[in-house]
Amino acid sequence: MSTDKVNLSRRTILMATAAAIPLVSLSPHRARAEGLEGVELHRYQPVFFSPAEWQFVMAACDRLIPAEGKGPGALETNVPVFIDQQLHAGLGDDVYMQGPHKADAAPTLGFQHDHTPQQMYRIGIKLTQQHSQQAHGKPFEQLAPADKDALLTALQKNGISFADLGEPTLKPSQFFGQFLGDAKNGYLADPMYGGNKDMKAWVAIGFPGARAAYTEWVDAHDVKYPLGPVSLSGKRA
Amino acid sequence: MQTITNDDVDVVIVGLGWAGSIMAIELAKEGLKVRALERGPDRPPEDFAYPKPADQYAYAIKNKVFATPRDAALTVRYNTGETALPTRKWGAFAPGTGVGGSGLHWTGVLIRPTTTDLKLKTYADQAYKRGTLDPDMRIKDFPFTWEEIEPHFDKFDKICGLSGTTGNLGGQLQPGGDPFEGPRSSPYPLPALHDTLNSSLFAATAKKMGYHPFPNPSANVSQAWTNPYGAQLAPCNYCGYCSKYPCLNYSKASPQTAILDVVKRMPNFDYKVNANVIRVDLHADKKTAKGVTYIDEQQREVFQPAKIVILSSFQFANVRLMLLSGIGQPYNPLTEQGTIGRNYAFLSNGDATLFFKDKHFNPFATAGATGEMFNDISPGNFDGPSLGFIGGAKIHSSQATGAPIGTALPPGTPGWGKGWKEGMVDWYGRSMKIGITTTCMSYRGHYLDLDPNYKDPWGQPLLRMTFDWRQNELKLQRHLRDIVLGIAKELKPDAMSENFLGLDSHWDITKYVSTHNVGGAIMGTSPRDSALNRYLQSWDVHNVFVPGGNAFPQNFQANPTATIGAITLFAAEAIKNQYLKNPGPLVRV
Amino acid sequence: MSDVMKTLKHFLGAAAIALAAAPALAAAATTAPAETLAQRGAYLARAGDCIACHSAPGKPAFAGGLAIDSGHGIIYSTNITPDKQHGIGKYTEQQFADAVRKGVRADGTHLYPAMPYTSYAKVSDQDIKALYAYFQGGVKPAAYAPPASQMSFPFNLRWGMAFWNYFFADDKPFKAQPGWSAQVRNGAYLVEGLGHCSSCHTPRGFAMNEKAGDSSSPKFLAGGELNDWPVPSLRGMPHWSQAAIVDYLQTGRNKNSAVAGEMTAVVEHSTSHLSQGDLNDIAAYLKALPPALARGAAVKAQGHDATVKKLSAAVGLTLGERLYLDNCAACHFVTGKGATRVFPELDGATVVNAENPTALLHVMLAGARTPSTDKAPSVLVMPGFGKRLSDGEAAALATFVRQGWGNTAAAVSEKDVAKVRAKLEAK
Repeated sequence: MSTDKVNLSRRTILMATAAAIPLVSLSPHRARAEGLEGVELHRYQPVFFSPAEWQFVMAACDRLIPAEGKGPGALETNVPVFIDQQLHAGLGDDVYMQGPHKADAAPTLGFQHDHTPQQMYRIGIKLTQQHSQQAHGKPFEQLAPADKDALLTALQKNGISFADLGEPTLKPSQFFGQFLGDAKNGYLADPMYGGNKDMKAWVAIGFPGARAAYTEWVDAHDVKYPLGPVSLSGKRA
Repeated sequence: MQTITNDDVDVVIVGLGWAGSIMAIELAKEGLKVRALERGPDRPPEDFAYPKPADQYAYAIKNKVFATPRDAALTVRYNTGETALPTRKWGAFAPGTGVGGSGLHWTGVLIRPTTTDLKLKTYADQAYKRGTLDPDMRIKDFPFTWEEIEPHFDKFDKICGLSGTTGNLGGQLQPGGDPFEGPRSSPYPLPALHDTLNSSLFAATAKKMGYHPFPNPSANVSQAWTNPYGAQLAPCNYCGYCSKYPCLNYSKASPQTAILDVVKRMPNFDYKVNANVIRVDLHADKKTAKGVTYIDEQQREVFQPAKIVILSSFQFANVRLMLLSGIGQPYNPLTEQGTIGRNYAFLSNGDATLFFKDKHFNPFATAGATGEMFNDISPGNFDGPSLGFIGGAKIHSSQATGAPIGTALPPGTPGWGKGWKEGMVDWYGRSMKIGITTTCMSYRGHYLDLDPNYKDPWGQPLLRMTFDWRQNELKLQRHLRDIVLGIAKELKPDAMSENFLGLDSHWDITKYVSTHNVGGAIMGTSPRDSALNRYLQSWDVHNVFVPGGNAFPQNFQANPTATIGAITLFAAEAIKNQYLKNPGPLVRV
Repeated sequence: MSDVMKTLKHFLGAAAIALAAAPALAAAATTAPAETLAQRGAYLARAGDCIACHSAPGKPAFAGGLAIDSGHGIIYSTNITPDKQHGIGKYTEQQFADAVRKGVRADGTHLYPAMPYTSYAKVSDQDIKALYAYFQGGVKPAAYAPPASQMSFPFNLRWGMAFWNYFFADDKPFKAQPGWSAQVRNGAYLVEGLGHCSSCHTPRGFAMNEKAGDSSSPKFLAGGELNDWPVPSLRGMPHWSQAAIVDYLQTGRNKNSAVAGEMTAVVEHSTSHLSQGDLNDIAAYLKALPPALARGAAVKAQGHDATVKKLSAAVGLTLGERLYLDNCAACHFVTGKGATRVFPELDGATVVNAENPTALLHVMLAGARTPSTDKAPSVLVMPGFGKRLSDGEAAALATFVRQGWGNTAAAVSEKDVAKVRAKLEAK
């Protein structure tokens, strides 16, 4: 069929209907905003942590999810950026914080202490560094890897006492638990949150990310899924 | 501060989740002026357009579409006499908020209780010798027959596009379905979802061992569906972001997909969001309500007059509102006087995780309800009496999600470091679960009341929950463990971990079970020991109806949503056909 | 009798009354024509979609004030409520008929053909009468004076319209073609007249005149372009069954397709309000028109099975195929068939295969949504992917979609995408 083209450069006289389809706001030229995904760790300026705290966080992340072995480490995947951003954005503001707080509640009755995640990191990092100075004469980030691991284990198992360092309620295991949980979240969350850089963690484990469309795969039992992940922003790996 | 008063309505609905949405559409279709007040925000489907919900951190870790403990915490204690402590973070359960409530992000297992489940007291009296069961148990029958409620189950099944395999059609057993289900008047509206590797392995083994597995009945629909209201659902694409997530594909039956676009077209229906109802206001004689009071978006106090009040704000909040408003007498566990707060029950779960180093389970390719289950271990269908407990469980292999945070790793894997990292690489996608979801009886000492110490941001006391595991449920767990491990053994995994309660286990509120909290304002045949009659009408305040899981006298092993939908439809019918013509108590004793 | 009972009874009575009488601007009612002349007029006004132009956001219904960019200046729609000062309250029926059918105001000035009087010329006397009764008695008067139109020279000289009308306007009344059944005749009457479908679906000439005025011409409803958007031919509609046409007009969706672009509002405000009988007749008429010649294939079809196989295996994918799995397959599936009445099919779709890819690109970048209608209340939203796709990616994806399965359309360039994106951002 011949389509007679009359080029109407602006809206034609009959394009007058009130309802329009919803328009997505499109940034010019770049279809995808980089946001936190483009961050380079060595150039990143933390917004929550002080420079000294940042040293600790980087070093600790590097042991919690190290570079050695199969799969990327926490530094390669910008996990510290995730943690910094989350704390800055108010992580933990959904928690019920009204008192009174029962410090020695049975663990099965759940989180009961009165520290926000932000306070836990501040206090936990300070006291861990204090212990490191006392025990080794250096800050955490300067310890040998084995000593770092030992100190982290001591935190995890309450092998050191924050009470002895003047902190009445926060236990090392609570600080460690928060930190480890945040690190794992940062490692495996969508890269838009600042971690899991370039979806490297997803690639390593074989998780397809935000594709969320597997109609033709649900019947393929025990077949390796061949396709790399896609992020929420549409990046491919 | 001056209280604002709104225009009058016929029906005010507190909470626009499943129960509230069903009431809204059924009563608005009748021509009544209906207004819903929702504590949380609006949740239009375009906020959850593909691929936004494919975000585990936001939805499943930070609980984006849930209520926050800051606003909605309860307090918990194991026994009367102890000091209850707040649920500062969610653990065992996590209530929803916002338009759609938890109906927006539920898993979507839509399953009916059995005929025995609905008459558990009758069964217990017949099957158990006197003195065998815990004397503190307070089991009751539901106050209606299967024949009365079945048409409402049927309607809700069709509203949701229930997908599965029929087991019992009009009394005739059908191959492939649940032989223990009560007779249905219609077959399942849609065929079952597809099996994944885990559920096909499980079903094959279970069948070989003499059990009767069938696909999890699913409200994640298997094909395009138009429901009785004219609303449309799309076929599930097994996206793997289901339980705790709003559906990105119009495939999960929710108030949004199944009801709201329809009721919003009616000029006699409207709703307000960010409207937190703080009490039901009663007339001086306390026999009827005159409306409700809520705090609006601007923190102003607003009175909404209404002729009928529906409390559909979820089990906890319904009971709490009744207590805060003086509807009925609060329950006293020592004297057993009062009915508001009694018969609170929960449920327990447990599982074995099986690891296979060479299999590809592709856990990300799944729907919320994907899985196979069997009901062979349900009350009345196995010899519970000789085992010394009452109750049973769904035994199932489901795969509700494959998102990677929280991936199970084989026993012995370190919690961090190189070992953890390599464990993730080696074992993600290499495991399956066989799980149990159990019944839970109600007890004299398990109840809800108002906490004396802790308050919410609006200054009102939190709801206090007194609950723990009892020997009956723990014995049940040990029995189920044997069955599950028996099946697991047949599958010969390379490694296995297990997670079941022990006979000395306390309820651990830090581990997620399910948000199937029930009871507290139960339906019954007598105002002496129940809060509501068979139509969910308060015995005390006849223009207040309370649809929700609060109405169950104890918990059965089936997920509660199907029953909540059915009893709400049943109540809506009674309001339309009886209450409007003759407002007053619908059941005389 | 208790207070509650009294008030409930009262309210039930009031509700019954409210439901029985159809208010002047009822959003529902799609069954048999109403009983009074004004109610018949209300129904016909839906068919004519008067509300689309004569109502502006925030202003009273039919009080005008909608700005219409004509390409030569802004035309503001007029107040057609029965207000005696600002509306048409003083119009006689003849004056009303002349405005609607001839494009001439009561004071003799000419209307611009933004008002599709060239189509409305076909409206019968009987229907004019009913419309007049509605606009005089069924619509609430609104004392609102819309702004005056501001056309650029020489188009601001309205007497020039007389010349345009002489050359291009066809004010002949409706004429049935020989051989038409009663059903086709009614459908043609609705389409040629109040429906004014040809305003968009008939190609236009150099003076923006429609190239065909009625069904006697093979160019009538033969499609064209509107503001760069490809408008499909309605002649014969070989890809859709009659039921599918009715479904689409009634609900904005059918088993193949879902509405996008300008037709979304047309379905929502106009066609979804027409009776089942009238919609059946419209569909029968469109099917009866001999189709325009099909465009030749630009490429050879890849074939349905081959595309499904490649996408399912997900190995060695081209960029377009990979983008399809990452963005589209969730709803449109690897089959390209979508799901009946919920997700439109891409395999064989007119909008996908149109020579001009603008509409397809628009939908890819900005999304689309079905209107909520009486027969299909669900609002089904396709999100826009503009944020997720660069121009190059959108081009690769569109090319894949246009050449996958049985589709045979030409490739799309990055420049094509940039053009559409620029237009979207300018809005």
